[in-house]
Amino acid sequence: MKPRVLVAMSGGVDSSVAAAILREQDYDVVGVAMRLATEPTTPVAKRRGTCCSHDDFEDARRVAERMDFPFYVIDLRADFAARVVDNFVSEYIAGRTPNPCVMCNREIKFDRLWSRARALNADYVATGHYARIEQGVDGRFHLLRAADETKDQSYFLFTLGQDELSRTIFPLGAMTKTEVRARARALGLATADKPESQEICFVPDGDYASFVERRSDPAQLRPGSIVDRDGTRLADHAGVHRFTVGQRRGLGVASGERLYVREIRAESGEVVAGRREDLDSAGLVANRVSMVDDSMALAGELSVEVKIRYRHRAIPATMRVDSARRAEIRFTSSGPAVTPGQACVFYRGEEVLGGGFIERALEAD
Amino acid sequence: MPIYLDHNAGAPLRPEAAAAISRLIADAGGNPSSVHRAGQRSRRMLEISRAQVAALIGADPRQIVFTSGGTESNNLAIFGAITASSRRRKIVSSQIEHSSILAPLAELERRGFEIVRIAPDADGRIDPARVLAALDGETAIVSLGLANSEVGTIQDVAPLSSTCGNSGALLHVDAAQAVGRIPVDATALGCDLMTVSGYKFGAPAGIGALYVRDSARIAPVIFGGPHENGMRAGTPNLPGAVAVGAAAETAMHAMDEESDRIGSLARSLLNKLYDAIPGLRLNGPLVGKLPNTINLTFPGVLGESMLIALDLEGVEVSMGSACAAGAVEPSHVLRGMGRSIADARSSLRISLGWNNTADEIDAAASIIPAVWRRVADAEPLAEVSAR
Repeated sequence: MKPRVLVAMSGGVDSSVAAAILREQDYDVVGVAMRLATEPTTPVAKRRGTCCSHDDFEDARRVAERMDFPFYVIDLRADFAARVVDNFVSEYIAGRTPNPCVMCNREIKFDRLWSRARALNADYVATGHYARIEQGVDGRFHLLRAADETKDQSYFLFTLGQDELSRTIFPLGAMTKTEVRARARALGLATADKPESQEICFVPDGDYASFVERRSDPAQLRPGSIVDRDGTRLADHAGVHRFTVGQRRGLGVASGERLYVREIRAESGEVVAGRREDLDSAGLVANRVSMVDDSMALAGELSVEVKIRYRHRAIPATMRVDSARRAEIRFTSSGPAVTPGQACVFYRGEEVLGGGFIERALEAD
Repeated sequence: MPIYLDHNAGAPLRPEAAAAISRLIADAGGNPSSVHRAGQRSRRMLEISRAQVAALIGADPRQIVFTSGGTESNNLAIFGAITASSRRRKIVSSQIEHSSILAPLAELERRGFEIVRIAPDADGRIDPARVLAALDGETAIVSLGLANSEVGTIQDVAPLSSTCGNSGALLHVDAAQAVGRIPVDATALGCDLMTVSGYKFGAPAGIGALYVRDSARIAPVIFGGPHENGMRAGTPNLPGAVAVGAAAETAMHAMDEESDRIGSLARSLLNKLYDAIPGLRLNGPLVGKLPNTINLTFPGVLGESMLIALDLEGVEVSMGSACAAGAVEPSHVLRGMGRSIADARSSLRISLGWNNTADEIDAAASIIPAVWRRVADAEPLAEVSAR
């Protein structure tokens, strides 16, 4: 029997080509589009081509028709709300800056969807992520950066362990975006020239603060003051959820020099502003650390390169994981602004070793 | 070959209907309204089909208006009735109707009509007394489904006809799921309007009829030529009409045998599923329902998963009504019958029909429990949306 693979299809070009490639490789492909967001997407969202809208599902359906495999829309709205959106809102309210794509991968695509895959007798889950999975001679699975560095999405996938990697396929890992589009055109897929999705899919207008306010009890929000390093009040603000560490714009402070958010103290409602050089840190503490190969966690001090935001370059650091799955990471030389709530991902060259969620920065000496 | 158990969504074409279409295609294909003999031949075929449909529901052929299907028939009944009785601004119906009734009612509500939607009991029965209690001199039309599309419950509409008549309201019966499956006699029921859907008993989609007892009492909603006695403009769908005529004749002659056979297949399937699936629950009554329809709540699983898993195993069933984006919303019929959202989400409709065989039902009776066990194990409901 052909192995069955459940392909998560957004209606975009990447997942369309991923499904088409697997179909050509003679897998028993079952396409699914996940209905995730509960709020209707706006016309703005349509222009920007975020996923999950009705039109996107129709695009995915057309790909399935063209490539002749079954396709279904599945309703994971309740799971997405409980496991991704609620977390997004509570993280912002707690003064952190969440990364919902990491959460969605961990909770929905490689956990919830896997349950569905097993229910449907599938052997694998596949997505259009740009990352590679390789199996070593010892049988262990390795998660690697994509061949196309500009599209590499391995950062969002650090939570995958051996179990998940053993049942996951990333058909685009060795391809460039240009090759993917060319493949889509060659296959006659309607999605070949669709624009990239940019914003977080459930906040299509990009206005996170308003989204958090709509989705939360006003009593939970933490208004307060913007203060300088010495605690001097510079201005008032409507809630810590409106800020992210490293942010410059929208502080509402008249000042001769450029000010950045240096720290958010959710308990007191204080947003600490500082100059650019005040943002530098010596490292960070991460929690909920997971390693792609768990034996690595016990290896003592590790030399890694750490990436603390998706668009940042990985920088050299040393790290150590404790038994509570917390890690202390020290940058080899002083590093950029550390944003609590974001993912930090440990690399060694091409390989993702693991990652965690940033709890706090370590002060520069 | 997949096992098709979704006849309430649409039945496979009966061979007699296919043969009728083939014969028609071989003919000249004149417009039934034309003067020439090609037109006359077409007209004769159209009228034979009309008589066949009329015979199936105990009507006079002059009372049959061909339409594009059940949805158009329902729209013609509702909008035709309120247009013809412009003074009356109230409609009485139920919570468990098909979307082709519920959506027109919602539209009329927006236009200021008073809509009464009677709630069913736990088995999906509408109490005629509650309908009569809602009926008054303002009521333009009472519209009820004869057999519910999702659970198969058959309504007792005969007691409504005399009171509707006395109060001047039209009685419309949406018999889309009943006609061709169980004996239906429009004259004996005493209704004014009855919806017939060809696709439900072996004609292709795109052909249906509205029985109109007295054409003076409704107004047309599609305007154009004087087709269908002025009740429905547009050249009739002759291929559809000959098919529905042939399907009607076949269904009428085979009805006793078919309904017995299908009923016993459905009962045997139900009993085997009860034995294999602890906690399985039938939605709708045991008697007083369509023999072909079994709506089941499967314990501990999402219906959506079961539906897809069964499809991949070659068993084709359905669940609620699909929304525009393709995801399935919990059934308004089951909700109306008092089932929880969770139970509605765990329910599937299995509907048999004229071409199902005992072998197919035996296979389905072993595939469905196996799929249920796999889905319940892989994706237990307790895990869904919680951790």
